[in-house]
Amino acid sequence: MTGAGTEAGAPPLLEVEDLSVSFNTRRGVVRAVDGLSYTLDRGEALGIVGESGSGKTVGSLSILRLFGLFDDVTVTGAVRFEGRDLLRLSETEMSRVRGGQIGMIFQDPLTSLNPVMPVGEQVAESLRFHTGASRDAARRRTVELLDRVGIPDAANRYHELPHSFSGGMRQRVMVAIAVACEPKLLIADEPTTALDVTVQAQILLLLDELRREMGMALIVITHDFGVVAATADRVLVMYAAQPMEHCPTDHLFQRANHPYTEGLLRLVPRFEHRAHKRLRPIEGQPPALTEPIAGCPFEPRCTHAVDRCAAERPPPVRLGPSHHSACWLAEERARRETAPDKPWEQP
Amino acid sequence: MPTPQTPAAGRPDGPAAGGLVLLILRRLRDGIITLALVVAVIFVLTNLVGDPALVYAPVDATDEEVERLARAFGLDDPFLQRFAEYFVDVFTGDFGDSHWQKRPALNAVFDALPNTIMLTLAGIAGAAVFGIIGGIMAGARPGSVFDRVNNLTSVAALSVPNFWLGLLLIVVFSLRLGLFPTSGKLGWSSIVLPAATVAIVHGGRIFQLVRSATVEEMSKPYVLVARSKGFPRRTVLWRHVLRNTGLTTATIAGWEYVRLWGGAVFAIEWVFAWPGIGTLMINAAHRQDFFVLQAAVIIAGAFVVTSNLLVDLMYRAIDNRVKAS
Repeated sequence: MTGAGTEAGAPPLLEVEDLSVSFNTRRGVVRAVDGLSYTLDRGEALGIVGESGSGKTVGSLSILRLFGLFDDVTVTGAVRFEGRDLLRLSETEMSRVRGGQIGMIFQDPLTSLNPVMPVGEQVAESLRFHTGASRDAARRRTVELLDRVGIPDAANRYHELPHSFSGGMRQRVMVAIAVACEPKLLIADEPTTALDVTVQAQILLLLDELRREMGMALIVITHDFGVVAATADRVLVMYAAQPMEHCPTDHLFQRANHPYTEGLLRLVPRFEHRAHKRLRPIEGQPPALTEPIAGCPFEPRCTHAVDRCAAERPPPVRLGPSHHSACWLAEERARRETAPDKPWEQP
Repeated sequence: MPTPQTPAAGRPDGPAAGGLVLLILRRLRDGIITLALVVAVIFVLTNLVGDPALVYAPVDATDEEVERLARAFGLDDPFLQRFAEYFVDVFTGDFGDSHWQKRPALNAVFDALPNTIMLTLAGIAGAAVFGIIGGIMAGARPGSVFDRVNNLTSVAALSVPNFWLGLLLIVVFSLRLGLFPTSGKLGWSSIVLPAATVAIVHGGRIFQLVRSATVEEMSKPYVLVARSKGFPRRTVLWRHVLRNTGLTTATIAGWEYVRLWGGAVFAIEWVFAWPGIGTLMINAAHRQDFFVLQAAVIIAGAFVVTSNLLVDLMYRAIDNRVKAS
């Protein structure tokens, strides 16, 4: 699937093309990402939504080629960042990209900081590595950054260890680390999942502000449509390692096409729902990623599936300038008038 | 905006320092109790295995003469009274006289002590080099050739009895290659084989523990974060991982040193006839020289207690500096 903005002439900031990632484990080959493609323009924000194990995190970590140190990974396809295929760079070239041009925020702020290194130093070391700043200059810039992300009394807290910071404060420090070198792309992997609701909103607001200030592009990985609505211009829905639907965020809530997207949206609790109107879970379990899947991975759980769905993998169908849905019924479903959260009747 | 309050207490120069004094006092008390138990056990054991009067008496002495000798030494006093007297003597520094060496038992022990200290220090230094450096390098790249070779070596090393390994080294390096003396203490080269035996066996144990600590630490999320900053694997290892495993590593090496004094080094000394405490103990036991045997065991016990205390304090000192809470 290709997104919007490629018509402009200049190459997009990021172009992921047919990316597949598989882990060779003792229990066999696990396909964690299977045929992922999207593009991202400068300053644009993309939300990647999916359940645990849908490949959304691995797909984004593979942009930075960050896998577990001891994993045996096979990556195919291309990840072009400003025209250069990151999958073909040397480790030395890659280390300039990581942290320098692409920053990353991780899910759990409690374990993401080194417990025995002062927080300021953890920001400053990145600055020194990428900009060659002196110790003093890096320190001054770090205090500014900590102040900017909302650490009160930043100059004095520079030397404190992470354990004296709350979860929300640690995630702010993580944000400071990720944006320290003013990267062109910021990847946030479930940046708010581990945080309290009130803190979640503050972090999302902070990310949005920083993105605009620094002109960064943003990829937010989440399972929460609220986070997507708050931060992303476009959404990519993933299921069982494959992309299902890719559309502008406002389309998602009005004109979601893919049955899986529809099922997910029905799971978002709403205030107008009364107690008797129960949430309807999607029946069944996601498929095991160790077995090859011939057709659509969602077919066994899909209430609209036809014979073809189990046999052939549906290609992404273009429904609009930046709306694609990997479903054999996509065009048919696009023509219907009903809103997505009403049950769609099969012809 | 929630602002976490820094706890005022728990600074290194605050209540924690007072806690340290208390800790030292508590550990000293425990150490003295442990030593008292050692004295009790060794006294009971040596009194069970033989009658000192029989050893002192000439071979052709009559029962009556032996009995007279026992009475002269106070050996016919009630057991508890003799134990109490020995206990008081030991804690005032009188360990009795060696009938074999014809001098105070403590002097015999103090002559052997420096040799054992030398051997344990040389051995633990070698063990630390093999165990710590090897363990870190292997743990940083599990599954690599370096890891596999060293892992296999260390498992083999810690699976064989230390005296057998000592004999093997003698056969290969002394008898076959003639590089080092087989036994005794004749110049610097004599220490090489016994120290190598200590280094291999205990280095193997240190290697296993350091390796698994490193592997575990390398899988933690903050390592991924450090790599996302662009640092190459080696920098991540040095700047981030070793700061976290350093404390564990130092403690592991400290415990291994304590194990040496707990008896592991004595068998090695005997194999190489190294004139240390272990050799002294075994010789004394053969000659039923109970005072020397008792003194040697008690002094070795004192070393275990002291090394333990030092390892504990080192752990606290580093930990306090690291956590400051």
